[in-house]
Amino acid sequence: MGEPELLEFARERHVLFLEVMASELPGNYAPQEVNHLTLAYFAVAGLSLLRELDRVNKDQIAKWILSFQVHPETDNEFDNGHFYGFCGSRTTQFPSTSVKDPCYSVSHLASTYSALAILKIIGYDVANIDSKALLSSMKNLQQPDGSFMPTHIGAETDLRFVYCAAAICSMLKDWTGMDKEKAKQYILNCQSYDGGFGLVPGSESHGGGTFCAVAALCLMGFIQVDLASNLQESASIDICLLLEWCVQRQEEDGGFQGRRNKLSDTCYAFWIGGVLKIIGAYHFIDHGALRGFLLSCQSPYGGFTKLLYDQYPDIHHSYYGLAALSLLEEDGLEPLCVELGIVSAVL
Amino acid sequence: MAPSSSSSSEGVDDWVPPSRRPELADVVPVPQDDGPHPVVPIAYRSDFREVMDYFRALYFAGERSVRALHLTAEVIGLNPGNYTVWHFRRLVLEALDADLQEEMNFVDQIAESNPKNYQIWHHKRWLAEKLGPDVANKEHEFTRKILAIDAKNYHAWSHRQWVLQVLGGWETELQYCNQLLEEDVFNNSAWNQRYLVITRSPLHGGLVAMRDSEVDYTVGAILANPQNESSWRYLKGLYKGENNLLVADERISDVCLKVLKNDWTCVFALSLLLDLLRIGLQPSDDLRGTIEAMKNADPETADADLATAICSILQKCDPLRVNYWSWFMTTVSPQI
Repeated sequence: MGEPELLEFARERHVLFLEVMASELPGNYAPQEVNHLTLAYFAVAGLSLLRELDRVNKDQIAKWILSFQVHPETDNEFDNGHFYGFCGSRTTQFPSTSVKDPCYSVSHLASTYSALAILKIIGYDVANIDSKALLSSMKNLQQPDGSFMPTHIGAETDLRFVYCAAAICSMLKDWTGMDKEKAKQYILNCQSYDGGFGLVPGSESHGGGTFCAVAALCLMGFIQVDLASNLQESASIDICLLLEWCVQRQEEDGGFQGRRNKLSDTCYAFWIGGVLKIIGAYHFIDHGALRGFLLSCQSPYGGFTKLLYDQYPDIHHSYYGLAALSLLEEDGLEPLCVELGIVSAVL
Repeated sequence: MAPSSSSSSEGVDDWVPPSRRPELADVVPVPQDDGPHPVVPIAYRSDFREVMDYFRALYFAGERSVRALHLTAEVIGLNPGNYTVWHFRRLVLEALDADLQEEMNFVDQIAESNPKNYQIWHHKRWLAEKLGPDVANKEHEFTRKILAIDAKNYHAWSHRQWVLQVLGGWETELQYCNQLLEEDVFNNSAWNQRYLVITRSPLHGGLVAMRDSEVDYTVGAILANPQNESSWRYLKGLYKGENNLLVADERISDVCLKVLKNDWTCVFALSLLLDLLRIGLQPSDDLRGTIEAMKNADPETADADLATAICSILQKCDPLRVNYWSWFMTTVSPQI
């Protein structure tokens, strides 16, 4: 368990941790470099929650993010099957001029989400983005069953990318990028016998999958604002069973497990806590116990660890630890728009 | 945050940088353009950088050669998450008309040290689709191997479910679930897989046909480990959407009663009982008597109806969820 002095929210240490990460990520993050933009999102979003965004140069960030956008060469290219979103790193981005073969940048739904989220957080007006190609090419990534493929070169399709697509449409305020009804159908097919959602139909109920499902439904307008209304609203998803699944995920140590009979992990305090917040049931969990768990996952170096007895923090769990504390209305943290994963103040 | 595996056979001293390999002498490496002021720049190791620079060169040139194949293997060893490299490798494999069985062996090796990497599993799926139903058994053997190390690996389970539904191999799946549950009855992934077999296997007749034997199996599992939430949820799941049948099956209320007689604080038994009462269960005398005894032990609940009393008991036995149970009480209509 954490030493007594760590059971306070160690705000300053987290600011320092994120600042250090923002200036350079250690080499052991190299295997995640394809998600470079998502790593940047964790740092920027984390600092915004801590109200320390002044520590980074917003103009520079905006320029850097925009440099990852893939643009069609001509206006006729929208329907050539390529996705004109944002690449997640330089290693997936290739200028198409002066190469022998048709060699192209491969943008990705997850990095597109991260790019737009960062831009919104730093106050950039996303209406300035050339979104016509982005949205119409994104529609081509939607599969017949309603799910989304994240790139045009072929990849796994699952709920994560349905969520990304919905968040992208929401942030750009333009739903031509997806067929909402089809997406909703896919989401419904992902609800498991126990009320949670797996990442694909048939798979085990999972905290991340459940968040993606519910947040996407919320963004698309299929979730009501309070629990009573959600319970009345006739069968889209089984809200009662979902509620039961969610509250049962809180463990004796106060934290949340991502799946039944697994260990509590910091990030699920956000994924599952977030679901409860969205459906109007956040008050059903034990806030004190959750806070105790999260504060015990704080690292002396700043940031949060994944598990209670882990030694080192990582940027992913550090962001979600802060986000979860924001849901708990911890002093010193900005309120969060849960379904978009960005501070409410910028919306 | 698993560290990437380095090349299998090369020690640190053996590694020859691409710039010093004769077979790559004609290649001009293309450096990464990090662009203006990157946020969270990554401190790449020099070998990582150099290999990527050579990969970029071959990618730009649209090369489809054996040396390209080897180089992608090297990149994958350092950076298995890079989906562009995997895609390029697939293009090279097709152009070379490569032996895909061999390729499957190659990726299986990498998967063993990176069992939670999406791109690796996707590559396996791409190969399996091309190789067809003949590889179903081999794929099942492989996921078994991964699950023997980590019986809850989500990727392995996804792949296994995909192979079953697209390539087949259902014959021994229920038996496999039995085995896993014997090893660890708390393995929720195995319970979930069981549900998949019951509902989707073309060989097992479907949920309605299987329900009876599954109820017996699950009741046995519950009685052996009443604190295992997985079996309770599975039991309820067998009757999903069929409340009338759930209430009518005496084995359901029986197992609640049996467990509560032994341990009246068992939250899962109380919660299932509550569900049954809400959907119209008329408790047997035995059940009613047991609940009355629990009620009377607490002056607060002595006058309450059964369902309300159980909610009250749950608030005490499951204090983490006291707010949930107290809300639940307001949704429960009083029984006569």
